[in-house]
Amino acid sequence: MTKSRIVSALLASALCLSVFSGCGNGGPAASANAAPSGTASQKTAEKVTLTWAMWDKDKVEYYQQLADAYNKEHSNVEISFKDLGSSDYQTALGTQLAGGDSGIDIVSVKDIPGYASMTKAGELLDLTQYISDSKIDTSKYGNVVDQIKVDGKVYELPYRNDIWVVYYNKDLFDKAKVAYPTNDMTFDQYDALARKLAGGSGNDKVYGNYYHKWRSTVQLFGILDGKHTVLDGDYSFLKPYYNTVLKEQQDGICMDYATLKTSNTTYQGVFENNQAAMLNMGGWFLSTIMQDIKAGKSKCTKFGMVKYPHPAGVEAGTTLGTITGLAVTATTKHKDEACDFLKFVTGEEGQKIIAKTASFPAIQDSATLGEITALDGFPTDQNSKDALKTVKTYLEMALNSQSAAIDKALNDAHDAIMSKSVSVDDGISQMNTNVKPLLGK
Amino acid sequence: MTAAKFRPSKVILYFVLVLIALVCLIPFAWMISASLKLNKDVFAFPIQWIPQNPRFQNYGDIWEQIPLGKFIFNTTKITVIVTFLQLLTSSFAAYAFAKLRFKGKNVLFISYVCTIAVPWQAYMVPQFIMMRNTFHLNDTHLAIICLQAFSAFGVFLMRQFYMDVPDELCEAARIDGMNEYQIWAKIMLPLSKPALATLTIFTFVATWNDFLGPLIYLTTTEKKTIQIGLRMFISQYSSEYGLIFAASVVVLIPVLIVFLLLQKYFVQGIATSGLKG
Amino acid sequence: MTAAAVPVKKVSLKKRKILDNLTAYSFIAPNFIGFAVFTLVPIVMAVGLSFMEWNGSGVQSPKYIGLGNYAHLFRDGQFIEAFFNTIIYTAATVPFTMFLALLLAIVLNQKIFARSFFRTVSFFPYVASLVAVAAVWNALFSPTAGPVNQILMSLGVKNPPGWAADVHWAMVTLILFSIWKNVGYYMVMYLAGLQSINPELYEAASLDGANTVQKFFQITIPQLGHTTFLVMIMVTIQCFKVYDIVLMITNGGPGTKTQVLVFYIYNVAFNNWDLGYASAISMVLFVLVLVVTLVMFRRERTMSN
Repeated sequence: MTKSRIVSALLASALCLSVFSGCGNGGPAASANAAPSGTASQKTAEKVTLTWAMWDKDKVEYYQQLADAYNKEHSNVEISFKDLGSSDYQTALGTQLAGGDSGIDIVSVKDIPGYASMTKAGELLDLTQYISDSKIDTSKYGNVVDQIKVDGKVYELPYRNDIWVVYYNKDLFDKAKVAYPTNDMTFDQYDALARKLAGGSGNDKVYGNYYHKWRSTVQLFGILDGKHTVLDGDYSFLKPYYNTVLKEQQDGICMDYATLKTSNTTYQGVFENNQAAMLNMGGWFLSTIMQDIKAGKSKCTKFGMVKYPHPAGVEAGTTLGTITGLAVTATTKHKDEACDFLKFVTGEEGQKIIAKTASFPAIQDSATLGEITALDGFPTDQNSKDALKTVKTYLEMALNSQSAAIDKALNDAHDAIMSKSVSVDDGISQMNTNVKPLLGK
Repeated sequence: MTAAKFRPSKVILYFVLVLIALVCLIPFAWMISASLKLNKDVFAFPIQWIPQNPRFQNYGDIWEQIPLGKFIFNTTKITVIVTFLQLLTSSFAAYAFAKLRFKGKNVLFISYVCTIAVPWQAYMVPQFIMMRNTFHLNDTHLAIICLQAFSAFGVFLMRQFYMDVPDELCEAARIDGMNEYQIWAKIMLPLSKPALATLTIFTFVATWNDFLGPLIYLTTTEKKTIQIGLRMFISQYSSEYGLIFAASVVVLIPVLIVFLLLQKYFVQGIATSGLKG
Repeated sequence: MTAAAVPVKKVSLKKRKILDNLTAYSFIAPNFIGFAVFTLVPIVMAVGLSFMEWNGSGVQSPKYIGLGNYAHLFRDGQFIEAFFNTIIYTAATVPFTMFLALLLAIVLNQKIFARSFFRTVSFFPYVASLVAVAAVWNALFSPTAGPVNQILMSLGVKNPPGWAADVHWAMVTLILFSIWKNVGYYMVMYLAGLQSINPELYEAASLDGANTVQKFFQITIPQLGHTTFLVMIMVTIQCFKVYDIVLMITNGGPGTKTQVLVFYIYNVAFNNWDLGYASAISMVLFVLVLVVTLVMFRRERTMSN
């Protein structure tokens, strides 16, 4: 009796799976093949609604502006937003796409691991041919596009590139009678400067600088020399950076990692409350700090920006970039329209709209950067304006089919080192042993 | 228990109770305090329990920055329907598991219980595909209702309480000529008020606080629920913690009211009073 | 007598049995159909997926790989670590939660002053938003500036633990937090269970001269058998499935010291997009709970017979 039950349960499961894998097999694959055949071009005048999966629709000004501006020129195309939220974006997006016919035409790609998993799953349209056909000059994005090629093919174009800079609190510098930082600062000079600024105690305690809990804020100084990447498999090059930061932590120069992690400290709170004189952070913080100062929400009222600290012997202006890309789904039924919209957003016109909202566009030339530096509330000194000019940007996370797992392994080891659960050497060898198998080394 | 005499054991009892109350209420105090602060001050150290410049404006802002009223309406609607369906179907099914004999009872029951152990993360994707491709329920409240209303947990809980109702009661009713449906409606339901109250509270809280379900299924802003709404204060690079906690305080109130109203059904003797009658 | 009851007595035993079965199924059907369609079928699909390799793609279908995912479990250091973390966490959390919940329920079942207030208050940690309570818990237990450690230091403790950020204490912190957070929930279950105990049993025992402790062990505990079964299974399942508490309190750290199974499942499923393997890990949880349930179920049946 029980045996027959087991058999029937197995049969039922087999049935369900065949139904289910059938829908993975038939519908979407067929439409993916049909899409690039170019039939869409005949129906350009038809009314088309493009669904754009993204996050923070109401927090980020430029989404609607981009849609409106595009709609003005292409009255037949309407953009409909699908806001999946920022905190679990990849989970929500991946689930939406998993069903095959998701109805999503355009996706914002939040990070490199998400990009890697979606390209691996064949969910994004290969844009390589389109880019060369429509003569898009990818050198406008600096060296970024080379870093997102999968087997020589490109599946997204960046529309934001948040470069990393140092924000500093002018009031705290003035109070400590220390000269402002410059646009050419080595990592060691950054350390020395922080030591000059730290002081006070109790509620008036001022930290020289602040490293947020992400691994990027410490580890990635190590990749600016261009010789090392996060995909090295041997991470001993991170040792000097960890030693310096841990020493700062021990001397009370920067906030203790264990404290800031457990107490959910926000970098914004620390900087705006005059608790840290310097902050190494991505460009996204610019619009926040400008808004908060304007609204009177920030105790820090005067800030400046300088170029990211770099290892000795590396040109100033070498920094990290966190890119946000736009891609077209492989299953879209409006391939031409979607690609054209992508071209608009990642092209000069769209980039200018993004820059006007104090966000860093992916094309960073004098025109777009000029939009940012001309904004009301942007620091008036020349150094801050020059700080935005980069010579080389390395992606915060390098592309690899195992990006997500590598990222996780590096994060775990970072957490262990910074909370002093393991020594720097042990933490680094932990990285090596965990990442090497992922790289197939 | 009868006389209100002074006893040292009572003093200790109340001391412990007050201590427990304090430990449980500290987060609430902190939430209220945080809800009156500027974002940058929420996690600032040392903890400032009474904000220097309480910012009552937060309680106004939450209604303007997101459609909180709409979210509360959506969540209430889903929660009420789910709770009603859950109570009805669970107590119905539990009656069979507790008081009737039938083929396959134990296997069915154990399979009910064990499926609770499979983490939703494991079958979320196949479930989503099925809901969208077969039932076309993507981006509807009905999807959330279907997922939440027929839980195995409700059946399990109600069965355990029905087991405590003496079989003699049902036997007596059968001899009186009641059929099983009548026994369920006229004897079991009235006797299981504490259990129904428990299930109501649990279902209400679970549905009210559900996050991942609405996140996956509800993608249109007008259809979203409170927990998604709360995350709307968290954007990619910055979070409005002051507003999050203000909204958290507001949405906590209905849950506490439900609990306060229902806990009065936890009164000894309800389930057994039937025996004497 | 209703009309329906009369013919039942006249029909043959076999027919009656079929009729009884049908009646029982009619009770179960409304819930079971919904449950089967919306939960059971997807779970069965997940079981199937555990024998496949699939990255969640909408354009590539799953590939059958037999027991490949299960074989990988034994070689996967992260899985093994998460497995043992989950076991340790569960073994420590279950007894304390059950004991404290029962104690609290008994106290709050007495006729005491402001009873509904105390009941509501002790349920509070469960209903309050996890984001909020985790934040305040972490702030209170913050290693350097937190009030808890400052009190400890003023009491003469030289090196107070670093709690959530300390290798040796992170798991303890997690266990303490989850007991605190969930006791109220199981207190409510016990509270409801206590209502079904016949007060006459206590009166009879009092006449026999039993004291409070004797009454507790001879009446309360045995009479709560069905509730204890429920609470035990539910606490165990909840512990096996713990995810968001870990996410909010330690985020699996320091390093991977507090990574538990569902934490790992989430990571495998939605960061690495290896849905087949994630399903296979879930089946481990399923089997664990199946064993616990079968043992408890057998005990419940022998007890009630």
